[in-house]
Amino acid sequence: MSKIVIENLAIINKKEVGSGYFLLTLGFFSKTGTIKAGQFVHIRLPRSNIYFRRAFSIYDYNPGNKTIDLLFRVLGRGTAALAAMSPGETLDVLGPLGNGFKFPNKNETVLMAAGGIGMPPIYLLARQMVQKGFDPSRIFFFYGGQTKNDLVEISRIRKLKTRLYPATDNGSYGFKGLLTEAISSVINGKEARYRIFACGPEGMLKALDQFGRTEQIPGQLSLEAPMPCGIGVCLGCILPLRAGGYTRVCREGPVYDIGEVLL
Amino acid sequence: MTSDLSITIAGIKFKNPILTASGTCGYGEELAEVFDLSLLGGIVTKSITVKPREGHPPPRTAETEGGMLNAIGLANVGVDKFIEEKLKFLEPFETRVVVNVAGAAIKEYVEISARLADCPRADMVELNFSCPNVAEGMTIAGSAALAERAVREVKAVFPRPVMAKLSPNVTDIGEIARACEAGGADALSLINTLVGMAVDIKSYRPRLTNNTGGLSGPAIKPVALAAVYKVSRAVKLPLIGIGGIIDYRDVIEFMLCGASAVQIGTSLFVEPDAPIKIIKDLKKYLSENKLGAVKELIGKLRPY
Repeated sequence: MSKIVIENLAIINKKEVGSGYFLLTLGFFSKTGTIKAGQFVHIRLPRSNIYFRRAFSIYDYNPGNKTIDLLFRVLGRGTAALAAMSPGETLDVLGPLGNGFKFPNKNETVLMAAGGIGMPPIYLLARQMVQKGFDPSRIFFFYGGQTKNDLVEISRIRKLKTRLYPATDNGSYGFKGLLTEAISSVINGKEARYRIFACGPEGMLKALDQFGRTEQIPGQLSLEAPMPCGIGVCLGCILPLRAGGYTRVCREGPVYDIGEVLL
Repeated sequence: MTSDLSITIAGIKFKNPILTASGTCGYGEELAEVFDLSLLGGIVTKSITVKPREGHPPPRTAETEGGMLNAIGLANVGVDKFIEEKLKFLEPFETRVVVNVAGAAIKEYVEISARLADCPRADMVELNFSCPNVAEGMTIAGSAALAERAVREVKAVFPRPVMAKLSPNVTDIGEIARACEAGGADALSLINTLVGMAVDIKSYRPRLTNNTGGLSGPAIKPVALAAVYKVSRAVKLPLIGIGGIIDYRDVIEFMLCGASAVQIGTSLFVEPDAPIKIIKDLKKYLSENKLGAVKELIGKLRPY
C-alpha cells in the first residue's frame, strides 16, 4: 500500500522571477525518494484564514541538494498568502500526490505545450526525459503566454536544448497567436510519430484535446479542478469522463490521456 | 498513570471516542495510506444507497469562511459493491465500522440495513435522514413521525445498534431526537451540515451546481455544540457529536455538552492525520488533568 506523507518543509529561497511570478525553493521530502513530472504538492497556508490547502505542480527537484522548486503566479488569496512567506519559515506539505506523466517511446517526437503558469510540470517532464537520454532535438517545447513578461524562467528551459518555440498572444515575443496555432504551424504532416504533453489554461487544453483526437496524435494533458482534500476523500475535484462517470483529479489524475476526460 | 480512552455506546466498545465522519473518509481506503485505521475509535463510511450513484455535476464543493459547502449528491458505489469490496477492505482493521445508510424512501433504508444485518463487520448503522426528495415528500430529518417510523422499521431488520444522524435544519432538533428515541434508536449523531449557499458575482451563478449545499467545518461548531447540549437534555440516548472539530479541545467541549464520542469530518480534508493528533493530545490532556477515563467528561458541563 502506498503511503500519503505530510511533512513540514523549510522555505530555503524565494525569488520573484517575473511580475507576480514566484520561484519558491523548499527542502526535500525526508520520506519520499522520487517525484514524477506532473505530480503536485498540497500546501497549507499559515498566517492566513484560508481554510483549504492549495495545490501546486512540482516544477523541479534535486535530491542531491535536497530541494524542491515550485513556480507560481499570484492570482488569488492562496497564492498571495504563499508569496508572503519568507525563507526560514516552514510549510505544511502533503505530497507528492497524483499520477504524473507517462514517458514517451524513444522513437516519438514530442510536442510539449506549456501555457502560462501551466509550464512547471511540462518543464519537469522535459528535464527528466533529457536526463534519461531522450534526444532533446526531438522535443518541441511550445511555451505560450499573454505577453513576453509571462514567459518566465525561459532561460531554464533553454538549458535543456530542446527546440523551444515561444509564443505570445500579442506577438511581443516569438510566435504571435495561440499555442495550438504555433503547434499546427510547426508539425510536419504525417512524417513523424508525435506525442503531445500539455498543461495550461482550460481553453488551450480543450483545443489540444480536440486537435489530438482529430489528428490522431496521442498524448497526455495535466488538468486541474478546485481541490479541497487532495487525497481522494472529499469527491470535490471531479471531472466527467468521456466514457461516463466522474474521475477524481487529485487521485486518478491530474494527468489524463487525450480524449479521456470530457473537456 | 495511563488514562482510559475507551467509550461504550449501546453496548459497543470503542477504543477511543474519535471516529471519522461519513462523507469525509470515503470507505477508508485513502486514509489507510495516511495512518493505521486501527488507531481510530471508529470509521463511519460514506452514505450508501441501494443503487450506485455518480452524484451531482461539478462544482460540488466551495470553500467558505472557516469551512466549506458541499453538494456531492450521495455519490457512492451502492450496497452490493460496498459489501463485496469496501466492507471486505475494512475487515482486518481493529476499529469499529459504522455504516452510513441513505435512501429515497424508508423502504430503501430498510432494504440496505437488512443486507448489512448479515455482515458482522458492520458494527452499527447510522441513518442519514437529510436526503432531499424522498418518496415520503420531505426529508425524514424534518419530520418526527417519519424519523420515528424509519428508525422502528430499520430496528426490526438490523440486529446491532442503530444510530440516527440528526439534521440542524429543523425547527426543534429535540423533538426529532425524542421521535428517534421513541422509534427505538440506540444512539444519535449530530449535527449533519447546515443548508448554505455561495454566489459567484461575476457569473451571477451559485458556486454549486446544486445551488445550495451543506455547510461544514469550524464555522458550524457553535451550532453543533448547542444542538448536542439541547438534545442531551431531551433524550437519554448516547450522543456522538459532529461539527467543526479540529483539535482535542473541541472534543472536550462536545463531551462536556453531553457527547459520548465525536466524529471528525471536514478537518480530514485539511489535516488527514487530524484524528491521530487528537487521540494523542486527548490522552495527554487526561493524564495532565489526572482524569482516569475520558468518559468522566461526558455531560460534565456546568451551565449557568
